[in-house]
Amino acid sequence: MPQGPAAGSAIPAKRALPSKESTLFKDLLSHYESRQLKKGHKIADQILKKFPEHGETLCMKGLVLTHMGKREEGLELVKKGIRLDLTSHICWHVFGLIQKGEKNYDEALKSYTQALRFDKENLNLLQDAANLQTQLRLFDSLQETRHTILRLRPNVRRNWVALAVAYHLGGNLEDARNVLEQYARTLKNIPDYDTEHSEVILYHIRLLADLGHNADALALLDTSAKSRAVVDRMSIMEYRARLLSSTGAQDDAAHAWRALIEHNPDNYAYYRGYLSAKGFDIDNLPEVKTPEVLKILSELGEQMPKAAAPRRLALDVASGTEFTTLARTYILSALRRGIPSLFADIKALYTDPAKRDAIERVVTAFYDSLSNSASASTPATHLWTLYFLAQHHSFSPSPPSPPSPPYTHALTLIHTALAHTPTLPELHTLHARILKRAGDPYGACAALEEARRLDGQDRYVNTKSAKYHLRCGMLEEAEGVLGVFTKKDAASPGADLEDMQSLLYMLEEASAQNRLNRPGLALKRYLAIQKVFDDIYNDQYDFHSYSIRRFTINIYLNLMSFEDKLRAHPAYVASSVEASRIYVRVHDDPSVATASTSIANMTGVAKKAIKKAKKAAFKAQEEPKKGLTQATSNEDKGLEPGPAKDEDPEGIKALGVKDPIEQAWKLLKPFATPTQNSLDVWIAVYDVSVRRQKYLLAAKALLKARGLKGEDGELHIRIVDFKQRVSSLPQLPADPIGPALASALALILPDELALETYNSQYLQRHASSAASVLAAAKVAHNLHAPIEEVEDLLFRLTTPEVNDDIKSGLATHAFLVKLGSRRADEFRQGCDDRYVLSTVFKTPEEIARLRAPPAQGMSDGDEPPEGQ
Amino acid sequence: MNIRVARVDDLMGMQACNLQNLPENYTMKYYFYHALTWPNLSYVAEDHKGRIVGYILAKMEEDLQPGEEPHGHVTSISVLRSYRRLGLAKKLMVQSQEAMATIYRASYVSLHVRKSNRAAFGLYHDALGFAIHDIEKKYYADGEDAYSMRLSLKQ
Repeated sequence: MPQGPAAGSAIPAKRALPSKESTLFKDLLSHYESRQLKKGHKIADQILKKFPEHGETLCMKGLVLTHMGKREEGLELVKKGIRLDLTSHICWHVFGLIQKGEKNYDEALKSYTQALRFDKENLNLLQDAANLQTQLRLFDSLQETRHTILRLRPNVRRNWVALAVAYHLGGNLEDARNVLEQYARTLKNIPDYDTEHSEVILYHIRLLADLGHNADALALLDTSAKSRAVVDRMSIMEYRARLLSSTGAQDDAAHAWRALIEHNPDNYAYYRGYLSAKGFDIDNLPEVKTPEVLKILSELGEQMPKAAAPRRLALDVASGTEFTTLARTYILSALRRGIPSLFADIKALYTDPAKRDAIERVVTAFYDSLSNSASASTPATHLWTLYFLAQHHSFSPSPPSPPSPPYTHALTLIHTALAHTPTLPELHTLHARILKRAGDPYGACAALEEARRLDGQDRYVNTKSAKYHLRCGMLEEAEGVLGVFTKKDAASPGADLEDMQSLLYMLEEASAQNRLNRPGLALKRYLAIQKVFDDIYNDQYDFHSYSIRRFTINIYLNLMSFEDKLRAHPAYVASSVEASRIYVRVHDDPSVATASTSIANMTGVAKKAIKKAKKAAFKAQEEPKKGLTQATSNEDKGLEPGPAKDEDPEGIKALGVKDPIEQAWKLLKPFATPTQNSLDVWIAVYDVSVRRQKYLLAAKALLKARGLKGEDGELHIRIVDFKQRVSSLPQLPADPIGPALASALALILPDELALETYNSQYLQRHASSAASVLAAAKVAHNLHAPIEEVEDLLFRLTTPEVNDDIKSGLATHAFLVKLGSRRADEFRQGCDDRYVLSTVFKTPEEIARLRAPPAQGMSDGDEPPEGQ
Repeated sequence: MNIRVARVDDLMGMQACNLQNLPENYTMKYYFYHALTWPNLSYVAEDHKGRIVGYILAKMEEDLQPGEEPHGHVTSISVLRSYRRLGLAKKLMVQSQEAMATIYRASYVSLHVRKSNRAAFGLYHDALGFAIHDIEKKYYADGEDAYSMRLSLKQ
C-alpha cells in the first residue's frame, strides 16, 4: 500500500505541502489503509480545495473513489494526478494497484517499475512487483526483485525461500539449492512440530531429487525424519520409497513400498513400486514371470482382505485359464455383494478379446446357474447379474446374428431386469445408455427421466437427465431439471452453473445450441468457457505470495506447471475450435449472423425462455446497483471490477463482429505449436489461415494434419480446397513466400494430377469407409460434378459395401439437404428403415412428438427435494 | 479404484465430480485454496483411465477459539453414484483423517450436513462413524439447519 515519501529525499516543489496539509495527507493514507473511505474522501477534498493540482492527493482520491465503486471517475483522477507528478512513487503505485485490480498485470508491472524508480527499497512495491513478475513468468526480473527483498530483510524466513523459488521457477535449480542451504544454516530454535519448516525440508528434498542428487536427498530425508523435523509421515514414506528405488537399493525399496501398501492398500502405484523393486515390471511382464507375480499379489490380497487393488491387478497380469479362475472369483464375489460399479471396474480388460470372451462365459454360466437352480442365491444377485450382462452386451456387442440389429440383446436383458425390479434407478440409467448407443436419444431421455423420478434427491441422476435432454435439443426442459439443484437466487439455472464453472454443462449446452442452428447462443457459451479458463489462470495470482507465506512450496510449484498447461484442457481446446468454426461460418456467409440469431425463427416457447432469461439477468444486475447509488456509502467494493453486464443475451453482437476471421485466429493461435497433435485443431487452423490468406501457414496445417491422419476425410476436403484456392490466385505471393508455398503444395498434392482423378483415387482407396465416401462426395460437389453424380456417391452409404453408422448417416443426410437434393428424404427413409432402433432419422413431425413430455405430467419426482 | 492424495492436476476433476453429485458447489479457487494450504489432506479415487470418481476435500479449522483443540474439517466428500458400494468414501476418509492426526495433531474431524439430506447423513453416521455434535440453525444460505457432526481421532 502507498506509504509516505521516503525520509531524506528531496521533495519537488509541486509535491511539497505546508505542514497542515502534509499532516492531512498522512491521515488520508492511514484512512485508506483502514478503508475509512468516506473520511479519506473528505480529507482529499479538503487538501484539493487549497491545492487542486496536487498529484498525489488526486491519485489517492481516485483510488478511494475506485474502492467506493466509482471506477471511471476514480481512474480519471488517477491519470490526472500522474500527469501532474510524474516522479511520485505514490502516483505510480496507485495506478499500478488499479491496473492489478483489473487483472491487467502487464500494465500494472510497468507502473510498479516506474514507482520503484522513485522509491527503490519500498518493500510493498517490491512484493507486489514480485507477484506480478511471477504471474507474467518474468523469472529473471523476479530473481532480482527477490534478491533485493532478501537483502533488505534477511531475517525474515520466507524471503530466503522466496528467492529459492524464484531460482527454481527460472530453471536455476543449483542456485535454488544454494539458497536453501544458506537458509538452513541461519535457522535457530525451530519449534517442535513446525509444519511450515517441515514443508520447506520436503521442498529441499524434492529439489535435491530433481537435481539427481538422490543420495543427498535420501540423507536429508532420513535425518529429518529421525529428528521429526518432517511431520508428514506419508510424504516421508513416499519419498523414501521413490528415492531408494532410484538409488538402486532394491531390498530397502521393497521394504518401503511394502510399508506404504500397509498404509494405503488401494494405491496402485505402491504395488507397482513394490513389484518393480522385486524386479517385475508388470506393464512388460514376460509370461514366464507371471506365476511369481500372481503369487505375490495373492499373498498381499490375503494380508489386505479389504483392498481391491491386489485382486484387480492380478486380473491385468493373468491370462488363459488362470485368468478365468481369478476373474470368476472376483466377479462372482462382486455380484453377490451387489456392486453396481463392477462393470466399470473391469471393462478396461476388454481391450484383450480373450479376456472379454472369458468374462462373458463366466457371467453367462453364472446367470444360467442362477436361473436353473432354486439355489440360495438372492433375487438381488440375480438382478445385478442381469445388469452386468446388459452392460457387457451394450458396451461390447457380440457380432449380431443377422436379422437382429446390435443392442437387441442388451435391450432384452435390461427389459428382463426392469420387469423384475422396476424401482431401481440404475436399471433405468442403463436402459437410457443402451438406447442412446442404439441411436434413440429421445427414448434414452425418457428412460433417464424414469430414473430421476425414482430418486429426485440425487443430483447425479439429475445431471445425467439434464445432459440427455440437451442431447435431444430439449433445452428448456434441461434447464427445468437442472433448476432443482441450482441456486434459487441465480438469474437462471444455466447462469448458476456458469458461475460455478461447470464445463460439462457449458459444453453440452453450447453444442445443443449449435445443433439447433443457433450459432449466436452457441458462440456465447463457447466464449464463456474461455472466460472460465481465464479466471482459473488468474486464480493463481494470490497464491504467489500466499504459498510462500504458508511455505507450501512443493504444491505451489505444481500449481505453476498446472497453470502453464491449463489451456491444453480438452474443454478449452474444444471451445476454441468450435468457436472458430462459427466465426468461419459467419465469415463465409455474413447472413448467418443476422438470420439464424433472430428470435423470429425460434419457437414460441424458446422466445419466451429468452425473454425470461433477459429479465432475470437484468434483475440480477440491477439489484446490487441499488446500494451503489448512495455514493456516500463507506462500503469497500475492492479494486476488481464487478461482473460485466450481459448486453448480448442472444450472442448477436458476438456473432456480428466486424472481423470474425481475426477473432477465430485469436482463439486458435495459441494452439498452432509444433507439439500440437490434434487433427481437429490443425483442420481449424487451416480453415482460418486460408481465409486470412496466410497460405504458408495453411499449408503447414495441412502437412501437420497429414502427419496425424493422412487419409482423413475432412483433410481430403481441405487438400482439394487448398489446391483450388491457390490455383485461382492471380499470382503466387512474392519471394520468399511464393516459392516456399509452391514447394509445400507439391508435397501435399502432385501438380500433374487432375483434382477429379485425385478424388476418385481417394474414393477407391476407401470405398468401404462412410466418412471417406461422404468426403469424396463433398469434393466432387466442390469440383462442380452434376448433382446426380454426387447423389449416387452419397447413396453408396446405403449399400452393403460401405460400413456406415448413424453418425455418418446423419452427416450425409444433412449434406443432401444442403444441396437441395430431391433424394434427401429417400435417404432419410432408407436410414430409418435400416437403423431399426434409432429415432434420429424420423421426420421432424415424428421427432417433435418424441420430444413431447409424457402425458402423466409432473410427478412427485419433479418437486425440489426439501431444503435444497 | 486407485486411492491417492489429491494433486493440483486433480482439482478440476474433483470440482466436476462435486458439481455432478452435490448441491453445495465451489469455484476452482476454493479448491486451490485447500490444496495449497493443506496439501496432504485431500484425497481422490480414480478409475483406470485416471478419471476422478470420488474425492474428499478437507482442511484444518483455522479460527480456533482460545483453548480449542486443533481439528480437521471435511469441506466436501462424494463418490459418483455409479461407483458407490465399493467403500470408496470410507477409504478416502480414513486416509484424510490419518493425515489430519499425524501432521496437524487434529483431535477430531467435523463436517456439516443438511438436516434433510438423509442419504448423506446415513453415510457419515453409519458408514463413517460420525456422531451429531450440534445443530446449527440456518447454516445454509437458503435457511436450512445443519447437523454439525464429529468423529474423534483420539486412539
